[in-house]
Amino acid sequence: PTPVSSPLACSLADDDWQEAHERLAELEDKPVTTREQDGPGSEEADLLGEPEDTLAERLTRLVIDSELEDPAIMQAVQTTVPQPGGLNSSIWDSSAVLRRIRGPLLTQEMPSVSVLDYALPQRPPQAREEERDPSERALPRRSSSPVIGSPPVRAVPIGTPPKQAAVPNFNQQILCPKPVHIRATMQQRYPAPYGERMSPNQLCNVPNSSLLGHPFPHSVSPVLTHLQRAQLLGGAQAGRMSPSQFARVSGLVGSPLPSVNPKLLQGRVGQMMSPASGFRAFFGAPPAPPPSQPQHPPGPGSHLQSLRPQPQMFRPDTTHLHPQHRRLLHQRQQQNRNQHRSLNGSVGDRGGHRSSHQEQMRKDPYANLMLQREKDWVSKIQMMQLQSTDPYLDDYYYQNYFQKLEKLAAAEEVHGDGPKKERTKLITPQVAKLEHTYKPVQFEGSLGKLTVSSVNNPRKMIDAVVTSRSEDDETKEKQVRDKRRQTLVTIEKTYSLLLDVEDYERRYLLSLEGERPALMGERKQKICDMYDNLRGKAPGQERLSDDHFMQIMCIRKGKRLVARILPFLSPEQAADVLMATARNLPFLIKKDAQDEVLPCLLRPFSHVLYHLPLGTVTSLVQQLTNLPQSATVPAPTNLHLTAVLQNKFGLSLLYLILSRGEELQSSDPWQARLARPCTAPRGGHFTLLPGHTGVREAPREAQWAPRPLLGGC
Amino acid sequence: SHARSWLTHTPTPPPRSPYPAEKHLVLLRDGRTLIGYLRSIDQFANLVLHQTVERIHVGKKYGDIPRGIFVVRGENVVLLGEIDLEKESDTPLQQVSIEEILEEQRVEQQARQESEKLKVQALKERGLSVPRADTLDEY
Repeated sequence: PTPVSSPLACSLADDDWQEAHERLAELEDKPVTTREQDGPGSEEADLLGEPEDTLAERLTRLVIDSELEDPAIMQAVQTTVPQPGGLNSSIWDSSAVLRRIRGPLLTQEMPSVSVLDYALPQRPPQAREEERDPSERALPRRSSSPVIGSPPVRAVPIGTPPKQAAVPNFNQQILCPKPVHIRATMQQRYPAPYGERMSPNQLCNVPNSSLLGHPFPHSVSPVLTHLQRAQLLGGAQAGRMSPSQFARVSGLVGSPLPSVNPKLLQGRVGQMMSPASGFRAFFGAPPAPPPSQPQHPPGPGSHLQSLRPQPQMFRPDTTHLHPQHRRLLHQRQQQNRNQHRSLNGSVGDRGGHRSSHQEQMRKDPYANLMLQREKDWVSKIQMMQLQSTDPYLDDYYYQNYFQKLEKLAAAEEVHGDGPKKERTKLITPQVAKLEHTYKPVQFEGSLGKLTVSSVNNPRKMIDAVVTSRSEDDETKEKQVRDKRRQTLVTIEKTYSLLLDVEDYERRYLLSLEGERPALMGERKQKICDMYDNLRGKAPGQERLSDDHFMQIMCIRKGKRLVARILPFLSPEQAADVLMATARNLPFLIKKDAQDEVLPCLLRPFSHVLYHLPLGTVTSLVQQLTNLPQSATVPAPTNLHLTAVLQNKFGLSLLYLILSRGEELQSSDPWQARLARPCTAPRGGHFTLLPGHTGVREAPREAQWAPRPLLGGC
Repeated sequence: SHARSWLTHTPTPPPRSPYPAEKHLVLLRDGRTLIGYLRSIDQFANLVLHQTVERIHVGKKYGDIPRGIFVVRGENVVLLGEIDLEKESDTPLQQVSIEEILEEQRVEQQARQESEKLKVQALKERGLSVPRADTLDEY
């Protein structure tokens, strides 16, 4: 029976506590042969029983341990929690055991499985580890082994690499001097879901009955020298163990590279290495095989495999590399391989390999200090950061950029076959969206809540109460300020609506057929909302004032907002907006003096104009120029028009409207003639009405004042 | 981890081929440029550089100061890149001796300081004050 090691399983523990209990009971029946005689054998009983002195400690440990599930706390805690001295540390160390009873005792949620799955390795089969797997019992061993430094801390940060596959079942050879301590018997240990970590002490005590004298270059020593142990401890002190520490010990990894296959190593005959090998063995790092040739590792022993020309293999674990990068890498390797092959071609496989290997070592004995495992581990961590449930939300610019590139590439591809590889994106891991809430640990019958708050279960520190102020007390300034703030809020709300509306196209493409009408409906609704926001929403109320709209238009962002919304509005709505703008243009111009953002409205306005009927255009002009309907009374200097004409935007707008009017008029002269009984020259020649404007240098556009329109018959 | 779009665009540490190691160039936050063989890296971008050389650039000249082994704390790394060994020698820059480059650097620093002083003085005369950018990274 496997222990409850899956985090998800524990989350269902509410219902399964009975099963968990049974499992625990079964565990007790497990063969005790693999356990040490002293102490830990009775740990199960201890836990289920109630020794008085340790109850409190165990509870604390339970709490802490459960908080260890909270990745945010993990790092902080395991460096600060003191080791109970002299206590049966087996309980402390084997959090796996604790987790098993966590079900019935505690209720808590585990973080997303996908993340865990991504971070964790494949669980090595338990059976294999029985004899060799060192346990987590640090303290009892402490008395017998001179551990350098303080006792190991149980390190389970989420970033640490997993303890890898069991020490393989063949003769372990080491090159380095014999370890200080050898412990004969090993204890059975159930690796915890998070941490199959071996503290350095345990690593020290992997049995080494199989220590042999002859050098074995590719093995990794399961036993540590003093130095290595010190390294490990140093690493453990920091609270995180890196793969390098395990590499020294546990040897083979469940890596995708078949070259690190035990069988291969078994086949390797020991071969005396050059002096550099001694150095290498000290660090226990076998040279990593070239990434793209798993079956073709350099170095001794590969004589077992013939040097067959390998097709370029798509290495699965380089998918995290950017495609460009991967290609360059492979290219370079090919080059190098070809070089070496040409150098050693005639010598034969074995010699060739050896010489290339030695040559490499001669050139750079420090190469591959990092194992492939370790590199993968760091890459994995970086890739974890890239996990995203919604890449469009998290990584908008990257996605858009690549979409654009792809479109370009697609366009280019029409002409020929360009290198498409360049365009491929970095393959980031996809994570399914998992809704989960983290419920902080709660004890039954306890008063109060836990004191630890973290990212996942934040605690309310301050009770902030919102008090609304009364209107009377406010001064005029405050009112003005508030009004402006309200406008700003409106703008922001409308902007988010706008962004949603703009995004609908993409969503439409992604959605299913059935959903599309709903999407369209949503979109329409949002557009209406936007318009309401713009014009001052008051359902049922006549929109008499432009006030709201003006407020928005006084703010730079508001103007931009209007410019972006216009394409989505219906012609009537858009015309309404245009009218309002034209009506109040002098005011807007004055306000825009600093921002000079009005010209951004020109393009959307022109688009709108294109769809407007003549009547609307006419009234627009009237609004814009603020001329009275009847031309019988010559108006005195028209300040409105003056202001309009003195501003670039105003001028351009006027020009647009007039040209549009001209178009309409010329395209449908009969209708125009009907609309205006007075005879108007078709197409019209336009003259400047003297004295009407105060513009000194009238630009060309100002000369186009269509008499018929202005005449307004 | 949401503000990461271009950060994650950088390639992950390349599996270094067993063939002659590639040199890497590291730019640190304090403006130093280190060039060396990258031996180890971790998730915080802590680096171990071997046979490191600090390269000082002044104008078109540069000088290399051998520094040995560097262990760089990840937070101080601005960027890290691989040096194309073939293209390394293909540079318009001129290498000079250490003393010379240090001298050039000193001269450049002095000139910059003086112009800065003049600027601050001029601003002061006009009643403006520029806050001292003590904590800013200056290159």
